[in-house]
Amino acid sequence: MPITIALMGNPNSGKTTLFNALTGANQHVGNWPGVTVERKEGQTRHGNQVYTVVDLPGTYSLGAFSEDEVVAREFILTGNPDVVINVVDATNIERNLYLTTQLLEMGAKVVVALNMVDEAEARQISVDEKALSRRLGIPVIPTVASKRKGIDELMEAATATIRAPLNGHVRLSYGESIDGKIAELEDLLKNGDLAYPPGWLALKLLEGDEYLRKVVDVSLKLQGSDEFTRFWDEMAVQAEDFQLEIVDSRYKFVGDVTKDVVRRPEVAVQTTTDKVDRVLTHKYWGMPIFAVIMFIVFQLTFAIGQDLLGRWMATGVEYAGGLLESLLVTVNAPQWLIDFAENGVVGGVGAVIEFVPLIVILYMLMGFLEDSGYMARAAYVMDNTMRAVGLQGKTFISMIVGFGCNVPGVMATRTLESKKDRMIAILINPFMSCGAKIPIYLVFIAAFFPSYGGLVLFSVYALGILVAFLMGKIFSKTLFKGETSHFIMELPPYRKPTLGNVLRNMWDNVSGFLTRAGTTIFAVVSLLWVLAVLPVGVEPYGAESILGRIGLLIAPIFEPAGFGNWQAAVGLFSGIAAKEAVVAILGMVYAGVEEGMELVMAIREVFTPLTAISFMVMTLLYTPCAATLGTIKKETGSAKWALFSATYTFAIAWVLAVLVFQVGRLLGFS
Amino acid sequence: MLKQLLLEIYKADYVSKSNLAVKLDSPVPLVEEGFAELVRLGYLLEDASLNCQDRPCGRCPYASMCQKEPLKTWTITEKGRALLEDYQAAV
Ligand SMILES: Nc1nc2c(ncn2[C@@H]2O[C@H](COP(=O)(O)OP(=O)(O)O)[C@@H](O)[C@H]2O)c(=O)[nH]1
Repeated sequence: MPITIALMGNPNSGKTTLFNALTGANQHVGNWPGVTVERKEGQTRHGNQVYTVVDLPGTYSLGAFSEDEVVAREFILTGNPDVVINVVDATNIERNLYLTTQLLEMGAKVVVALNMVDEAEARQISVDEKALSRRLGIPVIPTVASKRKGIDELMEAATATIRAPLNGHVRLSYGESIDGKIAELEDLLKNGDLAYPPGWLALKLLEGDEYLRKVVDVSLKLQGSDEFTRFWDEMAVQAEDFQLEIVDSRYKFVGDVTKDVVRRPEVAVQTTTDKVDRVLTHKYWGMPIFAVIMFIVFQLTFAIGQDLLGRWMATGVEYAGGLLESLLVTVNAPQWLIDFAENGVVGGVGAVIEFVPLIVILYMLMGFLEDSGYMARAAYVMDNTMRAVGLQGKTFISMIVGFGCNVPGVMATRTLESKKDRMIAILINPFMSCGAKIPIYLVFIAAFFPSYGGLVLFSVYALGILVAFLMGKIFSKTLFKGETSHFIMELPPYRKPTLGNVLRNMWDNVSGFLTRAGTTIFAVVSLLWVLAVLPVGVEPYGAESILGRIGLLIAPIFEPAGFGNWQAAVGLFSGIAAKEAVVAILGMVYAGVEEGMELVMAIREVFTPLTAISFMVMTLLYTPCAATLGTIKKETGSAKWALFSATYTFAIAWVLAVLVFQVGRLLGFS
Repeated sequence: MLKQLLLEIYKADYVSKSNLAVKLDSPVPLVEEGFAELVRLGYLLEDASLNCQDRPCGRCPYASMCQKEPLKTWTITEKGRALLEDYQAAV
């Protein structure tokens, strides 16, 4: 008779590692009958006995929640394993013992492999395995599966358990009334000739296990017994309470046991977290603290990204441009191609790339905040503010996503249950300044406010949030009315940010940015370049070109905002294709004006500090890019809302830009 | 105990598992286990978060950024609210 060992444990408890350590190459993989769950089986030897080891699916519980759970418990009850080795993660024993408790309820012979004791020790978690064994009434063997430690002892204990009769393991009480009901039901089921132990079956039925309920119903009906149905009809009212009571009894049991056998060093950390949170999420201080932190982030971005790395990048782009040009000249490339390379690629796309260092630093710092756990606190603070102005707080989650890109930002609104909240969240998302707009601000900052970069950028973002709040408030009072739903935000524990995470975050952003530069922006620039040099015979990049004429047509709209020149108009227009294109197009049309003229210099000639600000306000708030509009159309299911979004944002942007310019002029700024 | 945990979640301004652990005098992992059970029993809901399958990320160069989950939020279900009402009435 072969001896069968079943391996059972939570996901990530090290079950697979233990299975491999036990069976080595002696394993084969199949499927459990009727389901798609993988079945792994292997052989191991201890002493001169061969054992079959069956690796059951990793689960947290043994209900009927998933196929995995059903497969595992069916095997334990009807597959007749001689012993169950329950792999328990010593670093997370509270979560793991819930399953152990359920194994004990099944009346299986169980040996606990207390795994990852090395990791527990490293984290100063001490588990008294002897006390644990006493409390559970079963053997507990410490193991380090990944180092094959404790395997022999484990097999020794398993063998002894198989040989000995089943006794001594703890029996849970679920309270007097439930225990009574279990006994009553058990009696009924005893005569039912069912494949499961009646005591366990009674417990599971009271717990509301629908899978077993069906089995029992069918089976007893076939046997012509209606006592069960009668019992059940009497019971029906209380069923839900029983379920909670039973689960709670297990939970209490686990709590009791672990309280005695596990020691953790975390208490000090917990109270500090709490203290820090009380400050960072403070009703009045929370918001100013968030503002100060963001301000520092922006300041640092300029200090490191511009002053340290920025020049190096600009020189690099210039150098690469020169190289490309001389290469084209050497291979006798046609003049138009050289021109395109110089003004379109280097002047345009290059102008965007020059700002990569700043973006790198900004995202690195943001990644740092995110990784540390602070961002959740910031979101909580914002959430409170949003609720205070009558907006659904969860909207802020989609807004945070919108800071990266409005497309996923709009999509993130799906988590809002009410239609009202969702529509508002969609409509205000474009006011969150997305990553693609950053180069626009950077150009103007470099031209006019080089020493106030942090402050300007901070103000731009803050203005975006402010307008979003305001519009949200207006929408919730006019367009959409209704209840807001409630949810509770989780503040994760603080963590020391890991360099790996921060770098990965940064790379994701930068590679995304560069990919866009090489594809979308390149395409937009190429297209507009053609328009800028045609028709043949006119001065390229001049007002007479097709592009120039289009620009002249639109430009008067922006006259009241102070930047009524055709280049700015074309730039803004191209931004509807993709926001990065604004800088690229400005770079192209200005680069063509005067040989070798840098974009920043050109901007300085055409704009003033005041018009620079009004232009930035315009770009912050005006019509979102085509991809975002497409997403709005898709998410709202109507082109009307996309059109509405396109026009109302433009109107607001225009009004505010005009306001900035006109009021600024009245106050004597230029 | 689970009822009490649910009540504390309900009363708190935000979910901080470490804070709940202090309040209930339980270690954090036990609190986490409690959350898992409350979810399983249908009293508490971990709010649906989006993953890439729901999004047409395709080859969007920013896809890896969007997949990050900025925040986790919880909702106490109707069933959970009903339970709390009974519980509070009883206490
Ligand atoms: N430090 C430590 N790591 C372990 C131990 N056992 C397994 N692991 C690691 O824990 C991770 C999860 O193990 P795995 O066997 O895949 O878990 P399963 O999901 O339960 O099958 C893997 O990276 C293992 O290398 C152990 O005893 N100590």
